[in-house]
Amino acid sequence: MAGAETVDTAGLASLLDHVDIDQDRLQRYAVDGVVPRAATRAHSISEVGRVQSVATEHDFAVIVHGGRTMLGLGMPPRRYDMALDLSGLNQVVDYEPNDFTITVEAGMTLAELQRHLATNGQFLPLDHPHFERATLGGLCAVGRGGLRRNSFGGPRDWLIGMRMVKADGTPIKGGGKVVKNVSGYDLPKLFAGSLGTLGVIVELTFKLRPQPASDQVLAINAPTFEAALEAGRAASQAAPFLNGCAALSADAASEARGLGARVLHDQPALLLRANGLESAASEVLAQALQAAREAGLEGPERSTGAIVETWQAVVDLETQTSTDHVRLRLGLPPANLGRAQQIVNRTFPEATSWIAAADSGLLFTEVPSADADTITALRNELGPLQGRLTVESAPTELKQACNVWGPSGPGARLMHNIKEQFDPQGILNPGRYVDGI
Amino acid sequence: MKTPTPLVLELIDAIGEEAVVWHDEDLLVYEYDGTIDRGNPDVIALPATTDDVINLIKVANKYDAPVTPRGAGTGLSGGALAAKGGVIIGMNRMRRILNVDVENKTALVQPGVVNLDLGAEAERHGLAYAPDPSSQRACTIGGNVAENAGGPHTLAWGTTTNHVLALELVTADGEVQWIGHDTRDEPGYDLVGCVVGSEGTVGIVTQALVRLVPRPTAVRTMLAIYDSVRQASNAVSAVVASGIVPAALEMIDKMTIAAVEPVLNTGFPLDAEAVLLVEVDGPESQVEAEGARVEGILNRFEPREVRSATDPEEREHLWAGRKGAIGALGQIMPNYYLLDGVVPRTKLPDVLDGVYEIAERYRLPVANMFHAGDGNLHPCLLFDEREPGATERVLDAGGEIMRLCVDAGGAITGEHGVGLEKRDYLPWIFTEADMETMKSLRAAFGPTENFNPCKIFPKGHGCGEAGHQHAQQQIAKFGPKAFV
Repeated sequence: MAGAETVDTAGLASLLDHVDIDQDRLQRYAVDGVVPRAATRAHSISEVGRVQSVATEHDFAVIVHGGRTMLGLGMPPRRYDMALDLSGLNQVVDYEPNDFTITVEAGMTLAELQRHLATNGQFLPLDHPHFERATLGGLCAVGRGGLRRNSFGGPRDWLIGMRMVKADGTPIKGGGKVVKNVSGYDLPKLFAGSLGTLGVIVELTFKLRPQPASDQVLAINAPTFEAALEAGRAASQAAPFLNGCAALSADAASEARGLGARVLHDQPALLLRANGLESAASEVLAQALQAAREAGLEGPERSTGAIVETWQAVVDLETQTSTDHVRLRLGLPPANLGRAQQIVNRTFPEATSWIAAADSGLLFTEVPSADADTITALRNELGPLQGRLTVESAPTELKQACNVWGPSGPGARLMHNIKEQFDPQGILNPGRYVDGI
Repeated sequence: MKTPTPLVLELIDAIGEEAVVWHDEDLLVYEYDGTIDRGNPDVIALPATTDDVINLIKVANKYDAPVTPRGAGTGLSGGALAAKGGVIIGMNRMRRILNVDVENKTALVQPGVVNLDLGAEAERHGLAYAPDPSSQRACTIGGNVAENAGGPHTLAWGTTTNHVLALELVTADGEVQWIGHDTRDEPGYDLVGCVVGSEGTVGIVTQALVRLVPRPTAVRTMLAIYDSVRQASNAVSAVVASGIVPAALEMIDKMTIAAVEPVLNTGFPLDAEAVLLVEVDGPESQVEAEGARVEGILNRFEPREVRSATDPEEREHLWAGRKGAIGALGQIMPNYYLLDGVVPRTKLPDVLDGVYEIAERYRLPVANMFHAGDGNLHPCLLFDEREPGATERVLDAGGEIMRLCVDAGGAITGEHGVGLEKRDYLPWIFTEADMETMKSLRAAFGPTENFNPCKIFPKGHGCGEAGHQHAQQQIAKFGPKAFV
């Protein structure tokens, strides 16, 4: 930290335009209780470049902020001098609907993008919690696939080009504006999921899809969450072209109902989604429903016209939590989901809010508290099932005591090498990423 | 009698005499791939296990010998050529499908598995492996991973990178590690995303866990014959604009028709200008309705004829003209140079006009076959290499066509890779800083300078600048930079 202390806060403010050093306002940029010394909003790529070159020269640690919907993710920062807020960098750069591609600045929200695309009957196939606030730069930096990842994949699968600013302020790019491209290394893939540790994502180009002619959602109650999960597994096997297959516990269903998913009752449920031409979507749902019934779900199915509200309510639950709760995300092969859920439930009998993507092996839950040893023991139990458990948000004390990402895999050596190449000074989001990166 | 070098002897020590090829006459077949370029390897090593690969790389590193990984040698950018000599590591003996997990829809394979064999195995389980490059009867999964291979059906399903979940990778320093995870839930950088498409410049893949997709319950293929490329292009635009995402959307032009018709009896009229191939797949009712809509659209643009098939054998017949196109070109000229450019789809008609203009100016027949839905064009320049100056003319025309794609907002390769062939053109789309960043990513994988050297990036010590004079001329003509 030697370098950072060479400039005091007032000096820091004099180096850049639009620097905010007001202590009260800086609170909103706090990460795990660490408040930066300054914050700045950038409105252009060149401004981001200027911030980074100053940060490099004076060794400021920078954390990039988008919509702050996933700030719980990651370890507490090792150091943190400046927040770089990109929410003002939010314009459409280039959109040719007939090419089915769009280039936008990183601070644009997912909801704003979808509204823009909807005027041409197009959309970006990604689910992300709190899409009214979540920025595209942020959700790509997080890089996780969502509840419908079985049919959508993740941000990496739709990104075709990216502009970034390196740690030292140099602007670079990877990919391009064409849907199929193998010219040079795939830097957009490297940056997707890198949590702001390699450079600042400033502009993104996505390939797009036409909106389906018909989009349908059905809910059916289940006696227990486990039964909903098992039925979901059967449904996704019987109807592989399902667009979404979410199982919810009673508490999750009732929370989602509170957020706008009126089709859910206060009971465990299976939520099925299919789209395409109307007849095809109906056919897929009918197949899925039949399999779910054969797997033991009784009672009437309920459909809803509020597709987006219903689904987004469930997606929002992934991160819906008070900061003092511990939110867990487990990813693993879908066939192992049932066994994994039993293990997690045995470890945390107090967990009552569960959501699962039964078709892609994702499980979310939250518990009021946990300790590091319990998390480690749970990870050990889940290992043989290929389970990867991430603590997606937790009180800072727990984060300091446990590794929220889990033990480093065999790729850690390469990851450190990459970080060293891209940010040798360690000024980008230091300490929050995997294996201390 | 040639005597083995110390390098050869030590490679033999490492993996056995029968797995090392070093006699001049045996090396010949490894001098070529699918391009015009060639390389001269000193020795070929054919590992049977991951340990073999590790040992080979360590021996090569000890002797400072360049290492070039190779699959089936069907590549179209010179990626598998030993540009600086040294050791070619041929992965063909590691050709086992180790596991198919039906419920989780994954397959674990060795890199030498042939693409079509994996497809057939997946099919036995009611699944499919989506990437289907035209060379799929021969090309291997390892090569597909290196090149991020595409194919006609990637329009709906994406390319290889969308289908690889995890890799066992031996890096240039001889270290082995698994990267990635069954469901992409391994925290950390997307190393798999970095390795797929890296053209064998950071390591050798020794196992791949790939994603399989559900097999569509119904497929319908439609073929439409048009009197002009414009009409066909407009039909493509209309199909795409209709909101349907076809599984494939392909076009071939008049020269290609002239090549395939006599050999494959496709029934294409020789005076037609373009044949369009559209395939829709998915659940039965979807295919029925979408097929009817597509057929309606194709008919709006005054085709001579529209054919349609749902039966596998008939569909195969409709595909024959497209899939057999490259092979049939030998009918017209002994040699061909197959290009791979990509442009925003709406620019395709203009770029095609430009391609015909350039070919005419260089007095070269050109056959076009392309993935019209992706904006990925494959102009094929026909020539006879025995004719003095013909090869140079072809390479010059190729450079100009690449520049045309770049100026239209496109890129220099959609699915074949940069390789040896197009490395000099990389500065047309990337700045020095972009390329330095890519090189720094490469450096993170260890001592990679000697690992598939002279590929992707321009220049490079000992890479024979003179061999790419044609590219230098194009650079001089257009200037080094475009950066669209």
